[in-house]
Amino acid sequence: MLCLFASAAIADEPQLGVVKVSHQVQQFIESQCIDCHEGDSAEAGLDLSTESQNDRRLDFSQWVRIHDRVETHEMPPPDDSIVDSAERDRFLKLLSGQLREYESKNRFALGSAGSRRLTNLQLERTLHDLLAIAEPLARSMPDEPRTDGFTGLVASQSMSHFLLESHLNVIDAALDAAMGRITDPVRTWQRNYTARDLARENPNRRCRDPEMRDDVAVVWSSGLIFYGRITSTTVEKSGWYKIRFTASSVKRPESGGVWCSIRSGPCNSGAPLLDWIAAFEATDEPTEHIVEAWLPAGHMIEIRPADATLKRASFRGGQVGAGEGEPQNVPGVALHSMVMEEIHPAGSRQEVQRRLFGQMKIEVKREIGRVVYDGSNPIADTKQQLIRFASRAFRRKLTEKDLTIYVAWLEDELSKGRDPIDALLSTYRAILCSSRFLYLREPAGKLDSEAIASRLSYFLWGSMPDDQLFAAAQRSDFLTPEKLILQIDRMLQHPRGEHFVRDFSAQWLDLMDIDFTEPDRKLYRDFDIVVQNSMLAETHQYLKWLLENNVPIDQLINADKTFLNSRLARYYGIDGVTGDSMQLVRLEQGSHRGGLLSHGSILKVTANGTNTSPVLRGVWISERLLGISVLPPPENVPAVEPDIRGAKTIREQLALHLGHDECRGCHAKMDPPGFALESFDAAGRWRETYGSGSKGRAKKDLPVDASGVFADGRKFKDFQEFRSQLVENPLPIAENFAEKLIVFATGAPVSFSDRDELDRVMKRVQADSLGMRSIIDHLVTSSLFLTQ
Amino acid sequence: MSTKSNKQAYQQGTDGGSSPPFGRLIGSRSLNRRSVLRGGGVAMGLPWLTAMQPAMARAQSDSPKRFVAITLGLGLVSSNLVPKESNKGYKASRYLSSLEDLRDRYTVFSGVSHPGVSGGHRAEASILTASPMGSSGRAKNTISLDQYMAKYGGGATRFPSLVLSTGGSTSPCYTENGAMIPPLDKASRLFNLLFVDDSPATQTRQEARIRQGRSIMDLVGSEAKALKQTLGSEDRERLDAFFTSVRDLEKRMAETEKWAKMPKPVVGQPAPVDISNPSDLVGRQKTMCELIKLALQTDSTRYITLHLPGAGGVIPIKGVDQGYHNLSHHGMDKTKLEQLALVESALIDQWANFLRSLRDHSDLSGDLLGSTSVLLTSNLGNASNHDNRNMPVLFAGGPFEHGNHLAFNQRNNYPLPNLFVSVLQANGFEVDRFASSTGTMKGLAFRSV
Repeated sequence: MLCLFASAAIADEPQLGVVKVSHQVQQFIESQCIDCHEGDSAEAGLDLSTESQNDRRLDFSQWVRIHDRVETHEMPPPDDSIVDSAERDRFLKLLSGQLREYESKNRFALGSAGSRRLTNLQLERTLHDLLAIAEPLARSMPDEPRTDGFTGLVASQSMSHFLLESHLNVIDAALDAAMGRITDPVRTWQRNYTARDLARENPNRRCRDPEMRDDVAVVWSSGLIFYGRITSTTVEKSGWYKIRFTASSVKRPESGGVWCSIRSGPCNSGAPLLDWIAAFEATDEPTEHIVEAWLPAGHMIEIRPADATLKRASFRGGQVGAGEGEPQNVPGVALHSMVMEEIHPAGSRQEVQRRLFGQMKIEVKREIGRVVYDGSNPIADTKQQLIRFASRAFRRKLTEKDLTIYVAWLEDELSKGRDPIDALLSTYRAILCSSRFLYLREPAGKLDSEAIASRLSYFLWGSMPDDQLFAAAQRSDFLTPEKLILQIDRMLQHPRGEHFVRDFSAQWLDLMDIDFTEPDRKLYRDFDIVVQNSMLAETHQYLKWLLENNVPIDQLINADKTFLNSRLARYYGIDGVTGDSMQLVRLEQGSHRGGLLSHGSILKVTANGTNTSPVLRGVWISERLLGISVLPPPENVPAVEPDIRGAKTIREQLALHLGHDECRGCHAKMDPPGFALESFDAAGRWRETYGSGSKGRAKKDLPVDASGVFADGRKFKDFQEFRSQLVENPLPIAENFAEKLIVFATGAPVSFSDRDELDRVMKRVQADSLGMRSIIDHLVTSSLFLTQ
Repeated sequence: MSTKSNKQAYQQGTDGGSSPPFGRLIGSRSLNRRSVLRGGGVAMGLPWLTAMQPAMARAQSDSPKRFVAITLGLGLVSSNLVPKESNKGYKASRYLSSLEDLRDRYTVFSGVSHPGVSGGHRAEASILTASPMGSSGRAKNTISLDQYMAKYGGGATRFPSLVLSTGGSTSPCYTENGAMIPPLDKASRLFNLLFVDDSPATQTRQEARIRQGRSIMDLVGSEAKALKQTLGSEDRERLDAFFTSVRDLEKRMAETEKWAKMPKPVVGQPAPVDISNPSDLVGRQKTMCELIKLALQTDSTRYITLHLPGAGGVIPIKGVDQGYHNLSHHGMDKTKLEQLALVESALIDQWANFLRSLRDHSDLSGDLLGSTSVLLTSNLGNASNHDNRNMPVLFAGGPFEHGNHLAFNQRNNYPLPNLFVSVLQANGFEVDRFASSTGTMKGLAFRSV
């Protein structure tokens, strides 16, 4: 808000963001701060000098920082000055009171309030639930901006005709899908494949489909792209499919079975991208595997060995001739049979009809792909449906008088002789473009039951309330803590509850960026996509386990167990885990695995695929896990560019940074956690030396030094020590978790005025041993969640 | 933007002298001839001085004038880019040495930047708006150069503008409300959009939908207006943004309706294959630039922005094994600087290839480069320390006299928005101010015909 400073001299009217504080507060600044914070060379770029005394105009966030630094005794610097504690307390009390007052008057301007627009994912799920469809919709929407990891922050949401146009396209796609479902002439679609059906049609042709070997269709381990595609599985129609197949291993390695990937794609060079479906471990015993996947028209299934540690066959000319793999003695996967069947995960055809037309009398004419009204009072019938549909879409119980403009539209369409079904659908289209659908409307103050039901449901499910929650919200006791906690129980146990851990960690922990980098194959030979997906599953399952068992928060970081399958266990160098399902594994004492910071997923998203940076990881841990926000370098710091020539390791580079006064203040705080994680490379493997795991700056075989000093002076010698010391005081970790939940649930960070309520919540949570599920319960039943 | 508010904005702007803009002044269109000519730049032989028609009508009636901006997230190392000598006859720098065949078709600028803009990477949002965003993240952005042109001159083509990226969700293009326009980053989708017709049945259905869509916008717009009365003040602004979007879309649909049944242009090329490696910035730049050329050539649009974000991954170029972003923080390290130079040379070479492709395509009024102003710039003058001063600026094509190195003060930069004013004028917009401009670009003359 530098521009506001520049303009402050000209404008007389109060300006957005600029807080005028009282005389006494000004006096404190004058006597305690001004010596260092004055003029162009002010410390930290914070110039507190003014032209006229006691007319210091700083913006709200700057005052909050000043408050916090003084409160924690960081400022004024204890070495330089002694502040009388009574004076300090008086200053803090006065300033916080004034900040609160300012905040309550300017909540919207500060981005801490206002209607939230549904995020892409929320819009997709809402349309799914509204219409009982399951078509992917979010992928056709423009990406959303993320602030500190989170989408859907009120302050960073914008609206433009581009977004609105994309929204209109999405709702058209959704309504088309629903109508298409009702009128679909095909009742069921199923195909059965023998091994021969899965293999190449012409055994003499060199191609990339499986080959027959004895009675099974075999794909050998190889690096060839699209090898393992099954042309006969190409689907003509986009849809959800259940794929059941039986597979076994061929020439499996001694380490265990043959890990394989299942993917789909057009599998030709014009469209090189493949969609991930799942992984499995083929063993000697033929085993049936079942997967469900969305297959766009033209996609086929690809099944192939996908373990980077397996020996690979090589084939000339990019094609595989039958029999060419056999003498190369590499592992392979054998397919015995397959059944593919189209499914409708969101519900039956009747269910779609019920969501669109309720009990209205209609006739479905499949032969011409149309729905025809079959009743005798089109105006009354369609009006009734309009009110029913709008109540669901707007997430409120509504009557005709709340919907007059839509009723007028409908009546107008009908009076023009429009077919009742078309008229009704056009009204739905309008309803879904309304601001009442697009935005979660949360007026300031105590929210009513229906608004809370929506908040809860978008928080835990990323979608609209279901019938049960909607009905519960109509009862008077809905907002009692007991009833709310019962709903949380029900919602997390519901199949949709799976969404919560995934959605929240995707943003909070950046797990949505897991695909963002592809670790350099030359540097990370044993990393592959099966490992990557297992890493994600490890974190998801672990978080779910923590919540289900209300585990104290210290185990988020410091744990003696984790979830592994045989592939990830082998990648981590942990023995004794077999099978392809993720299972809870108790780790040996002293193991460097266990806890979020040792999860491959976290280590990967905090690196760039090639090398690691203690700064980036340090900032990440500070902001995401410890709740310490790291500000970018102040703008008046004269473009510091430390000369790092001659430094061998990243640690030496950073030591040179610390030679600069301007850098030291923050780097001393944010670098240490990053140093501890230096023991893990960019692909999440443990390392003792930089060896081949990091090229460029760090020369080969320099030992990793993961020691460091916490900002409070405690020393740690390695990652394990860092991890156990970090949780000695778990309260900041718990508080940060709570704050991130609030951002995710409400679209705004905990405000200055809400800090007292957060403190109260934390007291209650402490009484519950900082159990992670307790944190959710206490938050939802607090005013942090129940008011806007 | 109504004429009235423009006038106010204009007055406010001149009164403010060279101070940074406040409020929401973005650009002003004035019918005052004198005001157009004022400023430090040279304005001679402006083709539209004879008539005082509204700018939009002219932009549509004259032979097409086009504008392409290619924006970089991580800057260019200035010691490799900026020639040592200034003015004509400068000796090509390392990066420019491969562009000698294009020397008289482009100008290199140094010592220019957006006044008051800081914030390192965050200033990406200001590349084309020149609007200071500050550090709190709460300041509101303003309309970008390309969107300004699209708004007032975009009606002549099927697409008012194209906002593209080689990957990711950010673009430097903003609406008047300060909403970022999400970029299209799939080459195959862009190709379909530009050149592949929907089936006649789909076209008919689409047309009906657009027509109904306009009425729906009208409906939800008036609903929003009515709701506003019932809301607390805090929500009104959000509803306003919604309301404006509804109105804009309604207008936009009226335009689209015209095009819905017109066949798209036919081009000989097959649809491009999307490059799957997100780090292959240069490959994706090449594919996109080929499509940009086709879009201009077929007059599908006249205003295009392509953003090349500074991703973290390793760019697949021989000799490069460290991430792009990491390289940009070179700290004067020799290895890093060398690898970074490989990446940046490749980006510039690709830009040059794009210019050549425009130069080699002739249309009625000369070659395509002559009717297209092409800007290459970045918010970062020095990515290693996140400095937003001394932005790298290469500017080619259009009706300008090139072959120059216009060197300004490195310590006290010359305002880059002045170039934006020159570009706007060259594109037929009667504008004498954009954001914090102080005139037209000093030293940049129109080509004598």
